[in-house]
Amino acid sequence: MAGRGRGRGRGGAMAFTAEVLGLGRGDVLPPTTSQPPPLFPPLEFRPVPLPTGDEWDYLLLLKQEFRNTMRDSPYYIKPQDKKKDIERYSDKYRMSNNSDNTIGWTPDWNRLPKELKIRVKKQGETAARSAVKAVPNLQAAKQISQKDVEVVTQRLAELEQKETEAASGDEKQEDEDEEEIDEEEYYDEEDQEEGTDYIVSYFDNGEDDVNDDDDGLDDGPIY
Amino acid sequence: MFATELDYRMSVCQIHLCSLLIKEHFGDIVEKVCTHLIQNGAKPLRVAAQETGLKIDQVRKALCVLVQHNIASFGLHKRGFVEYAASVEQVLLLVRYPRYIYCAKTLYGDAGELIVEEILQHGQMRMSTVVGRVTQRLSEGGQSVTNDHVKGKMEDLINTHFLQRVPAPPPDNNKAAFPELTISERDLYRVPASIEVTRGESDTSKRKRSTEDSDPQSSSKRLKIDSEEHAADEGILWHLNFDRFHKYLLDHEIVQAVSRRIDWNAAEVVRTMLRISELSKGLEDKTSHPISLNDTMRNLPKENNMKFGVVEQYFKLLSDDQTSIVTKVGETGGGSYTLDFQNACKALVVSTIESVVQERFGSKSFRIFKTLLLKKYLEQKQVEEFALIPAKEAKELLYKMFSEHFVTMQEIPRTPDHAPSRTFFLFTVDVSQVSRMLLERCYKSLANVISRRAFETKENKRLIEKSQRVEAIAASLQSHGADQSQTAEVEDMITPLEKNQLEKYRSKMSKLEQSELQVDSTIFTLGNFLRLESDS
Amino acid sequence: MAADNIVIKQEVTDAMNLEERILEMCKEETKGVADVYIKQQLPHIDAQQRVKAINRLLSLGKIDLVKQGSELLYRLKDPSSISKVKGVDNQERLVYQIIEEAGNKGIWIRDIRLRSNLLLTQLNKILKTLESRNLIKAVKSVGASKRKVYMLFNLEPDRSVTGGAWYSDQDFESEFVEVLNQQCYKFLQQKADLAADSKLDPILRRNQSYGSSEDVWKFIRELGISKVELAVEDIETILNTLIYDGKVEMTVSLRAGSTSSGTPGQVKLYRAIRPLTEPAGIMRVPCGVCPVFNQCYDGGTISPSTCIYMKEWMDY
Repeated sequence: MAGRGRGRGRGGAMAFTAEVLGLGRGDVLPPTTSQPPPLFPPLEFRPVPLPTGDEWDYLLLLKQEFRNTMRDSPYYIKPQDKKKDIERYSDKYRMSNNSDNTIGWTPDWNRLPKELKIRVKKQGETAARSAVKAVPNLQAAKQISQKDVEVVTQRLAELEQKETEAASGDEKQEDEDEEEIDEEEYYDEEDQEEGTDYIVSYFDNGEDDVNDDDDGLDDGPIY
Repeated sequence: MFATELDYRMSVCQIHLCSLLIKEHFGDIVEKVCTHLIQNGAKPLRVAAQETGLKIDQVRKALCVLVQHNIASFGLHKRGFVEYAASVEQVLLLVRYPRYIYCAKTLYGDAGELIVEEILQHGQMRMSTVVGRVTQRLSEGGQSVTNDHVKGKMEDLINTHFLQRVPAPPPDNNKAAFPELTISERDLYRVPASIEVTRGESDTSKRKRSTEDSDPQSSSKRLKIDSEEHAADEGILWHLNFDRFHKYLLDHEIVQAVSRRIDWNAAEVVRTMLRISELSKGLEDKTSHPISLNDTMRNLPKENNMKFGVVEQYFKLLSDDQTSIVTKVGETGGGSYTLDFQNACKALVVSTIESVVQERFGSKSFRIFKTLLLKKYLEQKQVEEFALIPAKEAKELLYKMFSEHFVTMQEIPRTPDHAPSRTFFLFTVDVSQVSRMLLERCYKSLANVISRRAFETKENKRLIEKSQRVEAIAASLQSHGADQSQTAEVEDMITPLEKNQLEKYRSKMSKLEQSELQVDSTIFTLGNFLRLESDS
Repeated sequence: MAADNIVIKQEVTDAMNLEERILEMCKEETKGVADVYIKQQLPHIDAQQRVKAINRLLSLGKIDLVKQGSELLYRLKDPSSISKVKGVDNQERLVYQIIEEAGNKGIWIRDIRLRSNLLLTQLNKILKTLESRNLIKAVKSVGASKRKVYMLFNLEPDRSVTGGAWYSDQDFESEFVEVLNQQCYKFLQQKADLAADSKLDPILRRNQSYGSSEDVWKFIRELGISKVELAVEDIETILNTLIYDGKVEMTVSLRAGSTSSGTPGQVKLYRAIRPLTEPAGIMRVPCGVCPVFNQCYDGGTISPSTCIYMKEWMDY
């Protein structure tokens, strides 16, 4: 940071200018007592209060929403080998599994240098939908998917061990959940059947083929 | 490659801030790549991978993200390889995204807000996709809007230059190693003739569209499948014209300032002048073209019923004002006036700096500071005399501001030996230098606040996760028709103590994020001034 | 610059230069110089300043006004006027002349000694004699740590010696200055508020918010908060501090009729103003007021995560 190492230079300037300014010894300069000054000296002036009002509240809301949206978006690339214990809980609720061997969105390769093309192989049924330039729906991404409901209910069961009745109730509910939840979300039945808008593409580069990349380059993308 | 880059060199603070911002929005990998490019300049793909120690596919993906979000660009090195560069300026704008969205909301309502938000989330988007997505979101929010309405708003944003086309590759792009992206002046703000969406497999939905536009249900259904369809605006992407937004924000600042200095009517006159000058001038111009009193009169908002004589008086007040934002240049059309943006930026920046001195050093120091601002060069003794502050106190305050670089000193030796006893020491305030110094402080402060936010989140990690879990469970229970007591029981898993702590955490986060917006507003004011100044 | 067109009171140093220029002219023309001549020599100096300088020189006893035919001339005062004083010896005359040359700024005893080559005991004796005969006086100066300076008995000490109205017994009365500063502002603020509430046309409304330095002076005098007699000029000095406080702006207006201060027809008008902007956003963050800002970095002892200012601010 800029603060580092500057102190010395400034100190030097101080010694020179103190005289120039006509300061007597110890006149203004911090008194040279044997006691070290406190790390955080008391504030002489307080910060001005933050502004209030609808405009600022709304801006704050927009900011927080934008940040959360981006964090859950396919543009947010996470390392592949992220350890479980530092995984965000919300990760489970992400539509895109955008760790580094997958890509959660399809760049417009036409606009990018050839060398950026990533060899990707689509997974499962989504491969059939050779969509062009799909733009992920970030709002939808935030919604809870079916799989998540299972996780949730499972978690619920764990957390609510004491409640004996609940266990069977949940199980029964689980089946209903699969159909019901989406009525609340953007995804209607039709989409649900077809899968999601996301093209969840997995890289074909396995775990240790960092060196393969050079060869893979000329192959171009595989859709 | 980056025309907006300022002439002052990139600082450690800026780079640190950039890396925090990229990390927050795009994750660690993109951050590594971006920071590396910012720090070391343009790099070819392979070199970037090597130097960052990342896998080449990771770098590829990071670059794709950065290009998509208008942060990175590529070009051909003279030795024939493609290299990638990232723009500090563009990264720093991430803090300002909420304000762009808010701008659009103010100007074009909810549709405008969502259009800009969508485009910012994706960096670049096709009009058909934006319109579809926004219509869908608005419908879900309970508003009955049509595609045409949203499309109209987006066209408004384009026609007023808030959105512009992204440079496009040539049609026969297949052979080149990289696409030469270009856009002609003529096309920059050209709305595509059609964004009609035609469906490949079946044309049922196409027929549906004309009849059911007013039905939000069907439109939202159709939109979700637009990735399977072929849009008429294929290949035409839009992104924000940040300069235009900045111009609007600056105009807003100017209007605010005038309202504080004179009154709201005067501000209304200036706002009208700004509107008149809006599209007929370049964004970089230092003054507007002459605007006549008559023209202004005609363009005043209808609800403002100021009489001609009153408006005339306001013009007199405006041109009399010491800020010199409005200058009289002639007598035609009832008197013609120009807006001086350079003067306006200077007045705004001086006022900003003054408030910093006032709040950081107190009123007495401020008096000394302003004395120097007005009198240019003064000896210490003169400072005391003008400011009427006792010698000892004045000396202390002056020294403090000097040591923090708010005040500078010039030595005028009277003898060749430069002996201090025979040298004049003149104190002065260099507004440009103070602005640059403050800008640095702002970057560092912003980074500090973001760091603190990350720290607070880390501290409360367990609690946050627990509450997220509980919330999710409660929500899903509710959606499955669980009764109140069941959800309540789940919610009770958060103890009152934890609830309290969560509350505290959220309030802290709000404060920190609010202050990020605040610091950015200062960055904006300082940046405007420095940019205009470096042009002259 | 926002205040470029503000006319600030003439600087003291400028006035001194002017007086010296006039004195030099008088020295060159031993017969004396006419006002017209001075005017020609100093074309850029306005009448007000010229008259002021001449008046001062006259009051200091440095020049005389003599009539030559139909013409009035300014002539350098005979430096040996001391000789007219009876019973003064040569050493006393020398000391007297040295003190006389120093004018109303006075001269320090050490400088007298240096120039007269007298022993300190001798000099002290002479000074005492001259003092007792009311030819000279000792004045405590505010400038150089309150040491005494000597000047001719009938001279009004220069402001640089007394410090002007803001000094009482050579002590700067900063509280007095601040009280005046606040009261002047209050007066102008009330005027501005009244004007803003009025239903007048914009220009009239602005003009209503102005107060001349004389208006403010009257207001202060009627308040009766000053024990010493304040001149309009003194109030203008105070009003200037309000300009430097960013609370007031000044404009010079040409107005019919004359006032006691300034050139006839020229009136200094003041009015209360608000800052052009809200406090800068950066000042709403602890970093804005942080005293250890430059020592702060991630991972340091002073860092964003260890910052107690940040903590207090968030908890507040």
